[in-house]
Amino acid sequence: MTIRRNLLGMAALLMAGPAFAQAPAATPAPVPGWAVGRPEGSTLAPHAPRLTVTPLDQVPVSSIRLPQGFQAEVFAHGIPGVRAIAEAPGGTLFAGTRAIGRVYAITRNPDGTTRTRIFAQGLPQPNGLVMIGNSLYIFAVNRVLRYDNVEANLDSPPAPVDLTAAFALPTEQEHGGNHHWKYASLGPDGRIYTNVGVNCNVCDTDRDKFALLVSFRPDGSDRRIEARGVRNSVGFAHHPTTRELWATNHGRDWVGDDNPQDSLLRVRRVGEDFGFPYCLGTWADPQYNRGRACSEFSQPAALLGPHTAVLGMRFYTGTMFPEQYRNQIFIARRGSWNRSRLSGYDVVVAHLDGQGNVTRVEEFLTGFRDDANQRFADRPAEVHVLRDGSLLVSGEQMGAIYRITYRR
Amino acid sequence: MSLRRTFAAALLAAATTLSTMGVAPAQDAQRGAALAEPCAQCHGANGRSQMPDIPSLAGQPADFITIQMILMREGLRQVPAMTQFAVGKSDQDIQDIAAWFATLPPGPPDDRRPLDRALFAAGQALSGPRHCATCHVSDYGGRAQIPRVAAQREDYLLHALTQYRDGLRAGPDTQMNGAVQGLSDADLVALAHYLSHKD
Repeated sequence: MTIRRNLLGMAALLMAGPAFAQAPAATPAPVPGWAVGRPEGSTLAPHAPRLTVTPLDQVPVSSIRLPQGFQAEVFAHGIPGVRAIAEAPGGTLFAGTRAIGRVYAITRNPDGTTRTRIFAQGLPQPNGLVMIGNSLYIFAVNRVLRYDNVEANLDSPPAPVDLTAAFALPTEQEHGGNHHWKYASLGPDGRIYTNVGVNCNVCDTDRDKFALLVSFRPDGSDRRIEARGVRNSVGFAHHPTTRELWATNHGRDWVGDDNPQDSLLRVRRVGEDFGFPYCLGTWADPQYNRGRACSEFSQPAALLGPHTAVLGMRFYTGTMFPEQYRNQIFIARRGSWNRSRLSGYDVVVAHLDGQGNVTRVEEFLTGFRDDANQRFADRPAEVHVLRDGSLLVSGEQMGAIYRITYRR
Repeated sequence: MSLRRTFAAALLAAATTLSTMGVAPAQDAQRGAALAEPCAQCHGANGRSQMPDIPSLAGQPADFITIQMILMREGLRQVPAMTQFAVGKSDQDIQDIAAWFATLPPGPPDDRRPLDRALFAAGQALSGPRHCATCHVSDYGGRAQIPRVAAQREDYLLHALTQYRDGLRAGPDTQMNGAVQGLSDADLVALAHYLSHKD
């Protein structure tokens, strides 16, 4: 079912709750998808990104709080907007961004310091990165580019192979500007996994086209729906032993401060349905439930807090951290905007039992959120386990990557 | 053009609205004033543009100017007339220029056309359902990355609104594209007139 956005918005105007009943009846224009459910008088708006270089002495590493035995240091800085991280065979880290349109390449100097280069720039929201062998795949807004033999050409990147048509992801126009940025990862089956976010805040969308996790062969062929009813996932990884796909998922906006929650999803079988827009877990959407029983849908493995903006996640596969962290999930929570008081701005750990059930979610990296003053020092957007077992955390707001180490 | 730093001016520039803690205001508005001399050719001597399709910058939030200049520098926002001024500009220069314009008192252009009450009312009727004041604030003075649109040039407002609607421009996020999605040309004309007469 394909619903034209204009008709959709008009339907929302007619069908939505009391807030929209107050809109002037003479208004001919549809309500845009992102504003569906937005209450009158709300002044909540996204926080301004910082696209300028933050001097090292202003990178808020000293704000970071960690469990006993862990330390934080600045791994790389001067990289505005840094988000997703992908590691090349030779150890080069590639880092994607959204607003500033760059992909950075970060290498380590012999003395342990890092060097950063702008590897690609002028791209629309190049946040999705996958390394396959020596080829870097960049998923921007609707552009898929493959750069071959990248580590040998960091100073003069080769012309990319354009795979946009092969992947045939929905266009920016089809998304109506909503949730069109990508995350991407390489599965243990050699396929590329990516998200197709929903084309609105909440709406009766085409559930075969939007609100999906999908996978492809690396050439863009053989699209497969891995999970549906996933509003927008901007972080996922496969379990190192069970090979199951796990993903973070953003809940919708404008249902108040405490609903619905962002979530952690465990995809046990291909094509599983997590219920968007009808349900999230046992929570029925007040406007878009459409009479569906939430028990029809797969339940999230864990709830991760309202509007916390869960992004990058990794299973901890290193050996530097204590045994209790092995194969547990580190999750970056970038932090809320659609909430009267700030939530998130931290990294949490989801602990799993032997059956893969989440037993608890605990805070790991805190200190960026200042509750008393309702301000934040940085926004974690990605985590990445280095080969030495240390954990990298991207700080998007301050353009820095932090490195977390453990000493007994 | 003097590039001499005046330390007192750093205090002037403290009007940062970035909601992050621990970041010292790095902007130097006095230095920005010198760097902004070429801007006056088009954007007006006092930051109030008298040229069609050129926006006024007086009283714009510093974050807004900074982010837009960077989007132009990076080739992500295409404004041919601005390319020579944006490409190669350092973050510091951009931040200082932004701080300077943020200190200037805003106001309408000298050639603002008379108020058309019917058109103003039509624009006002759209502003509620489109939630313009949610982000641009009730006086339309803007905040952080969100621009002041009150008393902006009407021709420029229409140009910008049309670009957002037609997908020819996006900000650091796509909120504005969503906000004007589906509006007719007549709707945009009304909105531009309404905002240009908000003082």
